[in-house]
Amino acid sequence: MKDTIQHKEAEARMRTGAITAQGFLGDDPRPVAEIVEADEGEFRRLGLVFEIVAAELERLRDAGEGGLGEPVTVDGKWLVQTGDARGRLPCPYGDGIHHKNSIWVRRVDSGEALVYSDLSIHLLKEHHFLQGRGSGFRLEPHAIKRVLGL
Amino acid sequence: MSAILVGPLAVAGIAAALALVIAGLDRVLNNYGVLTIRINGGKMELSVKGGSPLLSTLAAEGIFVPSACGGRGSCGACKCKVLSDVGPHLPTETPYLSPEEMARNVRLACQVKVKKNLDIELPEELFRVRKFAARVERIRDLTYDIKEVLFALEGQGIEFDPGQYIQLVVPPYDKVPESVQRAYSMSSRPSDPHHVELLIRLVPGGIATTYVHKHLKEGDSAELVGPFGDFGVRDTPATMLCVAGGSGMAPFKSILYHMQETGAYPEKEIWYFFGARTTKDMFYLEELRELSASWPRFHFVPALSEPRPDEGWQGETGLITDVLDRYIRERIDPHRGFEGYLCGSPGMINACVAVMQKNGIGEDNIYYDKFA
Repeated sequence: MKDTIQHKEAEARMRTGAITAQGFLGDDPRPVAEIVEADEGEFRRLGLVFEIVAAELERLRDAGEGGLGEPVTVDGKWLVQTGDARGRLPCPYGDGIHHKNSIWVRRVDSGEALVYSDLSIHLLKEHHFLQGRGSGFRLEPHAIKRVLGL
Repeated sequence: MSAILVGPLAVAGIAAALALVIAGLDRVLNNYGVLTIRINGGKMELSVKGGSPLLSTLAAEGIFVPSACGGRGSCGACKCKVLSDVGPHLPTETPYLSPEEMARNVRLACQVKVKKNLDIELPEELFRVRKFAARVERIRDLTYDIKEVLFALEGQGIEFDPGQYIQLVVPPYDKVPESVQRAYSMSSRPSDPHHVELLIRLVPGGIATTYVHKHLKEGDSAELVGPFGDFGVRDTPATMLCVAGGSGMAPFKSILYHMQETGAYPEKEIWYFFGARTTKDMFYLEELRELSASWPRFHFVPALSEPRPDEGWQGETGLITDVLDRYIRERIDPHRGFEGYLCGSPGMINACVAVMQKNGIGEDNIYYDKFA
């Protein structure tokens, strides 16, 4: 597990109003280190690998950008739409700045969807942080497995 | 028992005393008094209370510099030139400024604190920007994820050019603890200064669009700040190639009806390419077809990228960039030259610019407001 001091410093920047108005923690009362530890455990149990999930989220984003802002069907399995906002967001861990966007991936068969951003991919890949429960951009491990079909 | 309490009470007492000392020092050290902000070489001078960011200090005086993040330093929109020495650029500013902008003393107004008299430069058009109190007169579903929202302005009307945008002030709601502002192009016509119409597409996870789609109701009060932006029709005889998708329709609706209403730029031919995925994502179809039938110099080309066989779509199909490319090469008279007008995602704009350049349209003749 990462140094909890690093998580604590990031946690302050994840609160509402620091980097984004809504923050990254939703209504999850757990410390960030505990959220990360729990999600790492869930990934192991589900047989998910952070790097592989991040690569698939990036692939779907890139394919979705081909829709030029309109929804586009990818591989006959997903409907993907990408949206952009003005500006960039710094990573709360202080290691990069990311374009402000929103990617929506919906399974054509079940209708289940994931919502994420470039910053979400970075947080997942580099920090194993999927955001707190109740956050609009929280990536639930079980939902990742079902929607991506991994 | 009392011995047990002595330690914590002593610590609490020391902490309280330190807090009082810090508060007292803060009041003395951060009291900058009344300062002067000189704008555009003295065309305007403001007497302000020092100590706050330049962005909010100007807003308190009725001068609204565009900002999409509420002064958090994440949108990079609130650029202005600060001629006085306010120290080096901060790490929170540099990601949003080019080396040329930094050399010209361009700063982010939200990151510069007013601690001394300042000399600044602002675009003159910002003096037209005002905050409007409004009431939601009508909300209409255009598609499953795009709403048309009509605001009735209270008091004085708005003067704007078609193509400009306005910022909607979103109040705190649900888990959003503070007010934020988001920019939307106006789809209404300048000839009706007492109404502002916006087309707002739901962005999953988006604070403002979720507010509009899930919380805002007819009759609600609202605040708008604007107008902003320089996206608009250039006064030349060149043929306009307008391209949009989704809520990118908004500025073109304003521009087209304004041109038709006023007869502005009578030499211009107008081609409007509008892309959607299926008929479920398409809107204003009949209205724009009627406009096209009654206004000979206006040509409307809607296209679907993934039409379903059961939709019976008779129009163009394919990505809007492919349709645009085909029309430029085969259908549109090139002898007056072309101008590109684009509204959409950065990806859509980049793709359209590439198609236009491939067909010999210079980047100087392509206009857009890229939200990135």
